[in-house]
Amino acid sequence: MRYLMMTKASDSVPDESLFTEMSRFTEELASAGVLLATGGLEPGGVRVTSSGGEISVTDGPFAEAKEAVAGFALVEVRSREEAIELARRFRKITGDGESILQQVFGP
Amino acid sequence: MTGAMTGAHRTVDAVWKLESAKIIAGLTRMVRDVGLAEELAQDALVAALEQWPAAGVPDNPGAWLMAVAKRRAVDHIRRSQRLERKHEQLAHELERRPEPEQDDVLRLMFISCHPVLPTEARVALTLRLLGGLTAAEIARAFLGREGEIAQRIAAAKRTLAEERVSFDLPERSELAERLSSVLEVIYLIFNEGYSATSGDDLMRPELCLEALRLGRLLAELAPDEAEVHGLVALMEIQASRSAARIGPAGGIVRLDEQNRGRWDRLLIRRGFTAMLRAREIGGPPGPYVLQAAIAVCHAQARTADDTDWARIAGLYEALARLLPTSVVRLNWAVALGRARGPEAGLALVDSLAADPSLRDYHLLPGVRGDLLARLGRNEEARLEFARAASLTGNVTERAFLLRRADEIEVDGAPGTMLGDAAQDFLGRDGLTAETVRSYGQTLRRLRLALGDRMPLESLTADDVARVFATSWGGAAAKTWNRHRSAVRSFGAWASLDGLDAGLDRRAETRPRTEPIGPAELEALWSRPGLPLRELVLWRLLHESGAGVTAVLALNVEDLDLDDRRARSGDAWVSWRSQTARLLPRLVAGRARGPLFLSDRRPSPARAPQPADLCPETGRRRLSYPRAEHLFKQATRSLDPAGDGFTLRRLRPRP
Repeated sequence: MRYLMMTKASDSVPDESLFTEMSRFTEELASAGVLLATGGLEPGGVRVTSSGGEISVTDGPFAEAKEAVAGFALVEVRSREEAIELARRFRKITGDGESILQQVFGP
Repeated sequence: MTGAMTGAHRTVDAVWKLESAKIIAGLTRMVRDVGLAEELAQDALVAALEQWPAAGVPDNPGAWLMAVAKRRAVDHIRRSQRLERKHEQLAHELERRPEPEQDDVLRLMFISCHPVLPTEARVALTLRLLGGLTAAEIARAFLGREGEIAQRIAAAKRTLAEERVSFDLPERSELAERLSSVLEVIYLIFNEGYSATSGDDLMRPELCLEALRLGRLLAELAPDEAEVHGLVALMEIQASRSAARIGPAGGIVRLDEQNRGRWDRLLIRRGFTAMLRAREIGGPPGPYVLQAAIAVCHAQARTADDTDWARIAGLYEALARLLPTSVVRLNWAVALGRARGPEAGLALVDSLAADPSLRDYHLLPGVRGDLLARLGRNEEARLEFARAASLTGNVTERAFLLRRADEIEVDGAPGTMLGDAAQDFLGRDGLTAETVRSYGQTLRRLRLALGDRMPLESLTADDVARVFATSWGGAAAKTWNRHRSAVRSFGAWASLDGLDAGLDRRAETRPRTEPIGPAELEALWSRPGLPLRELVLWRLLHESGAGVTAVLALNVEDLDLDDRRARSGDAWVSWRSQTARLLPRLVAGRARGPLFLSDRRPSPARAPQPADLCPETGRRRLSYPRAEHLFKQATRSLDPAGDGFTLRRLRPRP
C-alpha cells in the first residue's frame, strides 16, 4: 500500500546538520525500496478555482501560508503502522511541525 | 503474531519488519551463526513487545533492538561453556562497538539463498530473515501450514550450521552462481505474488511488495551487477500492470486487452531507470535483462497493436538460447504467432507438445487454443481451452480460460454434457437438502474445472483425479473423502464405472469403523417400513461381520439357506436367525443372479458385466456407493455427527 506524506511549512530555519541527517534518511528509505518519490514544493504556487463554470487563476502567495504543503514523500509500505513509523522518524529529524499521512488509492 | 494484534503490537511489528534484516545481519557477523543470530534478534523483539506498549517506541528503535540483542548475545555465550572462542570473538566485537556494515545485509541474502538449501527453504528463510515475516505470515502467503513453514526454517538454519556456511561474501569465481540463486529466490517470491499458483486470489500483492523491496535493496547493495537491475526492471514493470490485469469482475485481463491508462507510470518509470542502469553496466545481456527488455517493449507500446512483436520474438529467441526451457519457448511461440502469424506460432508450439515437462502446464493448451482460434479451428480451440482450464490450480485463471472456451462457437450437437448431467443428478427425487448441498459442492468444482460442456462420455478418472489434486490435494482427509464419495455416487448414477479410480480413500484420524452402538441398532431394527432389501443387507452385514463388498457380491445360487452360509469368492459368509428369517422373501423364487439388486435398469449405453445382471429381472447388482448412500440416509438421525453411518460400522462389536 502507498501513503503520501505531506509536510507543512514551518518557521524553523533548517541548518546544515538537518540537511545531512535528512538526506541520509531519504537515501536509506530509497535504497530499502520504500521511498518511491519525494520532493519539495514552491511556496505559494498558483490557485485554479472553478465556480459556476468560471475558471479563475490566482498567483500566490496566499494568506493561509502555514497550511500550505511544503514537501511530500510517496512511500510504499506493508502497513499503516509502517507509514506512521516512517513519519515519526521524519518528524524526529525535522523538529516541531506537522505532517499529514494519507493512503493513496489507485492508480 | 496472530491476527488479533493490539495497536501497540502492530507498531512493534512494523518497526521489526523495517529493522530485522539489519539486526539479524549485524548479529550474524558477530556470532557467525545465522540461527543463533535470529534467536537473539527474536529475544530483542520479545523485549520490545513487553516494553514499548507502556514505555513508547524509543527514538532509535533499530539501535534499541540491536543493543538488547547484543546483551542477550553476551548472556547466551557466558552461559555456554564450550564456545570459548566465540566468546572471545564476540567480546572483541562488542568492545569495538562496530557500526553495522553495509555489506551485512547482502551477506545475509547470500546465506538465505545458499545453494545447500532446497529452493522452498531459501524462499522461506529469505522472507523470514530479510523481510521479517513470521512463519504464520509466510504460511498464509504460500497457503501452507504454519508448522510446516516453521519446521522448514528450522531445518534450513540447521543445514547452514552443519555445512558451516561462511558469512563472507562469495568469491569472485562463484559470485555469478550465488547471485543467480538470490535473484531466483526474489523472482520466485514475486511470481508467487503476481500469478498465485494456487488459491482463489489471482494476486497476493504483499508478496510482490516484499520481492520488490528485496530487489530494490539488492540493487543498492550490489550496484555493479546488470542482472540485479534487470530483475528489478522486470518486477517494476510487471507490477505496474497489477491494477489493469484484474478485470471488474475479478477475472484476469490479457496483456493485449488491458487498459493501458491503468498501468502505473511511476513503476514503469522506475523499471526504465533500472533498465538503463543495467545497460550502462553493459556486457552480454543475461536472462533477467532480456526478460526486462521484453517487458520494456510492452510498456513502450501505447496500444496493443503498436507492440513491436518482431523485436519481442527476437528477444525471446535470445532468451531461449540462455534458458532453453519449455516455458520460454512457449512464450517465444506466442511472440512468433504475433510477429509472423498463427501458423508460425503453432508450428513451434506443436514441437513442444511432446515435452513431458509441459504435460500438465495449463499455458500450453491455453496458447495452442489461442492460435487455433485465430486459425478458425474452433472445435480444437475449444477443447484446448477446456483442457487448459482443467489444468490450472487458480480459480480466477480457470474462469478466464472457461470463458474463452465458451466464447467459441461450435457446430453440431454433442451428447450429454457434464453440466446437464450434474443438474439431473442433483435434481433427483429423494435427496435431502444436505446431500444436495454436499454433492453440489463437489460437482460445482468439477464443472468449473472441466467445463459444463464437457461431454460426459469423455469424462475420465484422470480428469477427476486432476481436479481433485488441484482442488483438494491439501484438504483434510474427511473433506477429500466426502468429495470422493460424491464422485463415486455420481459415477454410479451416471453409469461411469471407475470414475473414482484415481482417488484413493484417505485415512481419517477419527476412527470411522467403530461398530454402531446397541441402542442405535435397536432403533434401526425397530423402525417401521424399512424396505426388505435394506433390512436383509443390514442384518446380514451385522450378523456375518463380513465385508460389504463380499456381501454385495453374493449370488442367489451361492446361498445355502439351510446351513445359513454362502460362498463369496474365497470366503464364507454366514448368518444367524434374523437374516435367515428374511432371506427367502428377498430371494422370492429367483434361481440365480445377484442377491441384492438395484431399483433401476442400467442404461443401454453402459451395460454391466453379465455377472452383475439379474437374468430374470434385467436389473443390475446393487452397487456399494448406492448401498452406502441409502444406509447413510437412513441412519443420519441416529449419528451424533449428523453424517449417517457407513455400512462397515454394522459389523458386530468384538
